[in-house]
Amino acid sequence: MIQALNLVKEFELTRQQRKELNTTDKLVRAVDDISFTCEPGKVYSLLGPNGAGKTTTLRMLATIFKPTSGSILINGIDALKYPQEAKAEIGFLTGNTGLYARLTPDELINYFADLYGVEKQTREQRKEKLFDLFNMHEFKHKRIGKLSTGMTQKVSICRTMIHDPQVIIFDEPTSGLDVIASENIINLVNNSKKEGKTIIFSSHIMSEVDLLCDHLGIVHKGKLLFDGTMETFKSEMQAPNLTAEFIRIIQSTHQLNAQ
Amino acid sequence: MIFSVFKKELKDTLRDKRTLRTMLLIPLLAFPLIMTVSSRITAHFEAEEAEETIKIGLVKSGNKELNNKISGAPKMMGDKKLIYFDDSTSLMKAVQLDSIDFGVCSANGFEQALREQRPAITRVFYKATSLNAEQRAAGFLDAVNQQYKDQRYRELRLSKEKLEPLKITYQNIASNKEMLGKLAGGILPYIFIAFGFVGCMYPAIDLFTGEKERKTIETLLTSPVQRWKLLVGKMGVIVLSGLTAATCSLIGLYFSIQFIDTAKNQEIMQIVNGILSPGFIIMMYALLIPLTIFFAGVMIPITIRAKTFKEAQSIITPLNFVLVLPAMVGFIPGVELNWMTACIPVINVVLSTKELIAGTLEPGLLIISFAVMTMLAAAAVLLSHKQFDRETNILE
Repeated sequence: MIQALNLVKEFELTRQQRKELNTTDKLVRAVDDISFTCEPGKVYSLLGPNGAGKTTTLRMLATIFKPTSGSILINGIDALKYPQEAKAEIGFLTGNTGLYARLTPDELINYFADLYGVEKQTREQRKEKLFDLFNMHEFKHKRIGKLSTGMTQKVSICRTMIHDPQVIIFDEPTSGLDVIASENIINLVNNSKKEGKTIIFSSHIMSEVDLLCDHLGIVHKGKLLFDGTMETFKSEMQAPNLTAEFIRIIQSTHQLNAQ
Repeated sequence: MIFSVFKKELKDTLRDKRTLRTMLLIPLLAFPLIMTVSSRITAHFEAEEAEETIKIGLVKSGNKELNNKISGAPKMMGDKKLIYFDDSTSLMKAVQLDSIDFGVCSANGFEQALREQRPAITRVFYKATSLNAEQRAAGFLDAVNQQYKDQRYRELRLSKEKLEPLKITYQNIASNKEMLGKLAGGILPYIFIAFGFVGCMYPAIDLFTGEKERKTIETLLTSPVQRWKLLVGKMGVIVLSGLTAATCSLIGLYFSIQFIDTAKNQEIMQIVNGILSPGFIIMMYALLIPLTIFFAGVMIPITIRAKTFKEAQSIITPLNFVLVLPAMVGFIPGVELNWMTACIPVINVVLSTKELIAGTLEPGLLIISFAVMTMLAAAAVLLSHKQFDRETNILE
């Protein structure tokens, strides 16, 4: 389970950034008082346009960023007090992360298993299962730099799952992928959901959200504009379809801010 | 956990061709290549010079005796060809045009001065831009001058020995080892520092800026490993790479002296073999390990902040001059290791290594040098840790 309470993240602006943004403010608030809960066996989707604060929120959950204020519980573990223990529960996958091109998939998975303290016997069993599942045996000893995008994505998934995380964070996992490679991610989300894992993923693709999520959070300019189940969202819709409703919510915030 | 990070980073580094080149190949081949090429060039020039006939210009109307004495200069001075000119102006012009190596001309009143047993002015025209022209002219004229001197001793009925009240003999009591340490000892730490720095550079950029550029850092930071452990694991590879590069350069140097025909020097080899004891190697690495950690510690914050490989390289390359330049102090005669120089980073390593080779290193000064470098290395590591801990530096 993930419990985020009153999360705030501020970044200090450099002189160059202040000049570019045409502001005198020394701080910029990327996430502004966000609270939500993701439950086991459910998929929580964080939806928002580019620069909304989705990635920053997910990076705080993954303990890469420390929140300016607020608290995070990962499976009951205080992620701010015990970041290492919290990280051990998390599998983190983003669409734009690279892999070590000079290693082979086998070596890379072994390395991350070591980092997560997975025992050798367990590691071999899980690796075998994952390699079977994603049909990776053929290229497991090839350098990652020589693999196709689809193959690399499979390696990324194995890397995320090798320590059997109970909480999985996906940050725009399908960005830049073709339909077949995206299908692997969608299958992974569905399988993890069936296994009772807690899943949170960010996206700006409404169709993907509709396909996968149980619970929805719409983020814009660091604020959570909507937090509820997919059914509630659909029942409260004022626009003819999900994408139009998403755009309507974002634009109405713009109008409110303008007033 | 640190070992897992170290092992992976080492494997990754050893598969990077660019790092392999700077860590192993270039240091290993640098000295054999430099020595082979330079010794061949030197041998070629020496042979050419030995075969070369020196062209000496004389003035026809000049003092005949002087001209004859130059003409009769011993054969050991080299083959010569005398070319006569009408006057000193045409002689100077020939020197100017490089058609002769140097010209000799007696000044007005030359004969009278000789008769009156005063110094007779002899002018030598040469171009300082012509290699060794002055030395070769001096060789010939010293021989001629000696003939005149002997002539005067006879005329004045003087004994040569009576005019030399002191017969000074210089006796060098420094051992060969000491001599090598003081004269050539500066080169060893210089090599180590120069190659050690370059050896650290590429892995440092690859393991930090490279992780940012390739977008692998985010995944690594989500693992439950404390950042200081990641830093130490990576730093271990950078330090090892620096030490390997430096060691390879020394191995290259050793094999050049030992095996390359043109550079082979048995005398130096005997001294070097005498110096290379386990104790010497331990003490040398005791100085060089903190130095390499210091290099890594200085580079890491830069590579963490840099956004691209090029940016990191453009900052570290000039830093190379700042840190490696003090190593040249080892070549300056008279700069010795003392309580003050032992406290100056980098310079203390150079001077300590020099003393170590000469076998004259005081343990107290070694301890100070080691302590200073260790403290500095620790400060550099702390600085690296601080930078690596800053979330904005890591991901942007």
